[in-house]
Amino acid sequence: MEELKWFFVDFFQAMSAGLLVGGIYGLMCVGLGIIFGVMRVINFGQGDFMMLGMYGAYYMFTLLGLGVLLGPYAGPVAAAALAGPVVFVISWFIHLFLVRHVTGARVVSSEAEGHYAQIILTLGIALVLANGGLIVFGSLPVSIPTPMSRESWSIGLIFLNKARTVGFFISVLSAAALYLFLSRSTLGKAIRAAADNPVAASYVGVDVDRSHRFAWSLGCAITAVAGGLIASTQTFQPYIGLDFVIVMYAGVVLGGLGSILGAFWGGLTIGLVQQMSTLILPYQLQNTAVFVVFLLIIFFRPRGMFGRVWERA
Amino acid sequence: MLRIRSLNVAYGGLHALTDLSIEVGEGQFVAVVGPNGAGKTTLFKAISGSVTPLSGEITYGGRDLMKMPPAERARLGIAHVPEGRQVFASMTVLENLEMGAYAGRGRVDWKTLLPSILDLFPVLDERKDQLAGTLSGGEQQMLAIGRGLASAPELLMLDEPSMGLAPTIVDAIFDRVHQIHQQHNLTILLVEQRVAEALESCDLGYVLETGRVVLEGTHDALMSNEQVRRAYLGM
Amino acid sequence: MRGTREGIGREIGLIALFAGAYLAISFAVQDSYYQLIMTLVLVWATLAMSWNFLSGYSGMISFGQASFFGLGGYAMTIAFVDFGITPWLGIPIGIVVGVLAGIIIGIPTFRLRGHYFALSMLAYPLAMLYVFEWLGYQEVSLPMMREAPAAFMQFSDQRVYIALALGMLVICMLVSLLAERTRFGMSLLAVKQNELAAEAAGIDSWRWKMYAMMVSSAMAAAAGGFYAVVVLVVTPPSLFGMLVSAQALILTLFGGVGVYWGPVIGAIVLVPLAETLHAELGHIVPGIQGVVYGVAIIVIILSAPDGIYWSIRDRLARRRRAGAPAEAAPAPDVAFPAAPVPAAGDRTLGGPLLELENVSLSFGGLKAVDNVTLTVREGSIHGIIGPNGAGKTTLFNVINGFLKAESGSIRFEGGELVGLKPHKVCALGLGRTFQVVRAFPRMSVLENVMVGAYVHAATDAEAVHRAREALQRVGLSGDQITATASGLPTKQLRLMELARALAARPRLLLLDETLAGLGHAELDDILAVIRQVNREGVTVVIIEHTMQAMVKLADAFSVLDHGSLIAGGAPASVVKDPRVIEAYLGRKWMDRAQDPVA
Repeated sequence: MEELKWFFVDFFQAMSAGLLVGGIYGLMCVGLGIIFGVMRVINFGQGDFMMLGMYGAYYMFTLLGLGVLLGPYAGPVAAAALAGPVVFVISWFIHLFLVRHVTGARVVSSEAEGHYAQIILTLGIALVLANGGLIVFGSLPVSIPTPMSRESWSIGLIFLNKARTVGFFISVLSAAALYLFLSRSTLGKAIRAAADNPVAASYVGVDVDRSHRFAWSLGCAITAVAGGLIASTQTFQPYIGLDFVIVMYAGVVLGGLGSILGAFWGGLTIGLVQQMSTLILPYQLQNTAVFVVFLLIIFFRPRGMFGRVWERA
Repeated sequence: MLRIRSLNVAYGGLHALTDLSIEVGEGQFVAVVGPNGAGKTTLFKAISGSVTPLSGEITYGGRDLMKMPPAERARLGIAHVPEGRQVFASMTVLENLEMGAYAGRGRVDWKTLLPSILDLFPVLDERKDQLAGTLSGGEQQMLAIGRGLASAPELLMLDEPSMGLAPTIVDAIFDRVHQIHQQHNLTILLVEQRVAEALESCDLGYVLETGRVVLEGTHDALMSNEQVRRAYLGM
Repeated sequence: MRGTREGIGREIGLIALFAGAYLAISFAVQDSYYQLIMTLVLVWATLAMSWNFLSGYSGMISFGQASFFGLGGYAMTIAFVDFGITPWLGIPIGIVVGVLAGIIIGIPTFRLRGHYFALSMLAYPLAMLYVFEWLGYQEVSLPMMREAPAAFMQFSDQRVYIALALGMLVICMLVSLLAERTRFGMSLLAVKQNELAAEAAGIDSWRWKMYAMMVSSAMAAAAGGFYAVVVLVVTPPSLFGMLVSAQALILTLFGGVGVYWGPVIGAIVLVPLAETLHAELGHIVPGIQGVVYGVAIIVIILSAPDGIYWSIRDRLARRRRAGAPAEAAPAPDVAFPAAPVPAAGDRTLGGPLLELENVSLSFGGLKAVDNVTLTVREGSIHGIIGPNGAGKTTLFNVINGFLKAESGSIRFEGGELVGLKPHKVCALGLGRTFQVVRAFPRMSVLENVMVGAYVHAATDAEAVHRAREALQRVGLSGDQITATASGLPTKQLRLMELARALAARPRLLLLDETLAGLGHAELDDILAVIRQVNREGVTVVIIEHTMQAMVKLADAFSVLDHGSLIAGGAPASVVKDPRVIEAYLGRKWMDRAQDPVA
């Protein structure tokens, strides 16, 4: 009896951890999902933009004094939120100078060739960011020093880590805000139009190149915010992006490439898979479990399981 | 209003348009006809800016379009209703019409224009909250034309509105286009593969073959031309 | 020329020259550190060669070469450390393990296309990385065998390693050269440029990709095993890490994609640069190697996306061509038909050759092909007409195997086609062309047609012979067949595609809007070729919109609308059928053309 009880405690503990982490993964996936949904570009650098968000939040908390100013509870949240605009600006310029040349109207006529160049260019960007990060930030693992990462709220026998719980709610709110922006505002509609049918969008006067740049930067910034939230929950180093790039793609593909809501549910599911795999697998194979799930999804449900796919007509 | 002079367009070394010259006067209904692959769509793409010509000139109301980015051309009052409709499938009918008014000049008039568009195509009113991708081909074509009208254009460019539609629906759509031309005194440039239907309602016509204008003339001249009658009208 | 052995001796000479020069330089270099770099250049060149063999030739971008590199390295290491097996045997064992992994990975992964393929290939080495860490192989050192070092591939003179690595690389170069010059490479190139067209022309794309994967994984595993021997310590990140896979791809892209010199050039330029920077500055700026590779790949993809080799070649070719006058635009060809061509007339036709019975296929809720039953008689020209979107091309795709019918049966000479892959359908004698010409743009016209000839040609020489014969049948000759396919005028492209289908000597041809985009005079030329081919005994099924041409050409019509057959029979009666007029021709057509067939 006692054994069964502890099994359920473990089970629900892992599930709640999965849900909380999954919510943050969901936001991360939404960022990637916007970029793919709008530009049809596979961004291999997404994990490294997330890494930038982590370090951005970390340095804002420590060096810029947000930690001192706002304290150890509000500080990390504000730092994560502010990492978004910073990465937005960086990625805006990366699009302007690099990504623009291999995406958009220029390569519409050469579909496959375009993908080829995009995959390789973003791989190059990923390498420069990760290794440049190693040069600038050093290889020592760090995390945002906040008591939230050690404290938790308890519901019965289940413990909810404070940093993860706060991250979860901020993620859900951000994803919802983004959804409203895309479905209600004129700019959001223009971005959706550019995603749906770039040629027709340019005929009605949407500047597709600028919409793409905005979507790219927004996507990178959202993932960076998610990274900033994760920075309070675990240690990280400049190479961390690579692990998360697979996590993100698993989530986005699971949700249906191109669907923004789907990306959120996909990320949530991946979080659950990752945390609950520890019930049966050794801790080191957490990520392997995610990769295997990713491969299974890609083989059997390449169109995803959730959400409406914003496919071109 | 729209003047095209010795336009040359090539894709990968292959000439799609050769020395093409076309003129559209204010208030005219001009049809460009020819078989599949004659370069009709390429002509439209060059006007809208989604392909870059090798040489030649395109002016609209005296302004040079050649160096103007596509989005800016839409703001001049040129509405392009593309081949194959190209509605925003994942957006509602109303959102599609709203996007039609996205270019600056239309946005002001957008709400006042809406009733007249919905009058013209009552079926769009019935389905205004439906996703455009779920409409039938004919309804999508009407939506595409409606989207063009939402920008309060001076020139409406229609690329093969008959494509993939049953003849009765084609007839209905051509009737509407004729009505738009008459009632709103809108300048219309139409390219069509269905030669008979297109030539029927136009003021001026051009016959395109393998990227060249092989024949041009007024409605009457073309309809009575022996070659046209034999090659396109099946007489 | 590609696909033939011409000039292969000169290429082998160049490889020998390169190997000799490299060896000579290595003997001149005294510093053991630079000797190590010279060894690593060769190891990474071999790995890059493996990437080129899979991704450069077939176009499927692999981010997972590290899987095979790592397995080769760990197999050798574990054999050595745990079982005392010498690397002389351990490396071949690693190759076997690598090839097995290649097959196991290839079987599910070849179902994926484009970025899905690239992404999933990325997941394999990363998954393996964690597994090897979990298994406790975080850091494994090779023991020094002082008694019999040579028996365990341990040499005090670094130059022996250079010679061995050079041997490995030269073997890989020769294998690549041979592939480039035979149908292996040609088939992969065709798959890369247009997989559907290659399948329709009888190329079994899955089989060739699998062969490429096997060769590629063997090369990568050999490189991995040898790398472990040279560096003596292996860790999961150093063998399975992202930088390994990235390096394979980057060196090739930098040097030149799709040609065996590419990886060599890339490695010779980039590896010393990255290694030297790492050695000089690595302690101050630890990520410098990755930054160099990242910047290199960004610069190359934006400025010379095919790599250095091709940029130099193009520049040389341009200089050579600079004197010659520019090619003139094709002459205007705008004549209207002078006189009507006689109708097909009454001919005696054979029995049923192709029979469709209740064939259906739907996409989502949409019935693209709805219960179609029709018979094509041997020796006939059978027209399929109907409005755009009626399902005509989908019907062709179902017949030739691009799409699988959900129900019904398709019999060709009595044999069932449903469930067969396109290349099998082609091999049975059923060729096709496409609405938008699917050429292999970077191949010459002759090479394009050769791809179609492989299906029944036992040797490459026979393929050339059959290709020339097919080109003759459609009336292409001289300069027209040596020209590169991209940039050909529409008419020649259409004829080339027709010849590619004919090169397989089909019994039945499916022609999808072969007349689209042609002027009237050109149209008559193509019609004449189609008639000639038909007279020679090939049955033709043709989709076409130009009713005037169709009425004259076809013996029978089938009219499709919304995926279902609404009428069929002799042209003269079909065009008077009220349903056909309602759905397709329109009353105006009827008003004007009271009797077009008369």
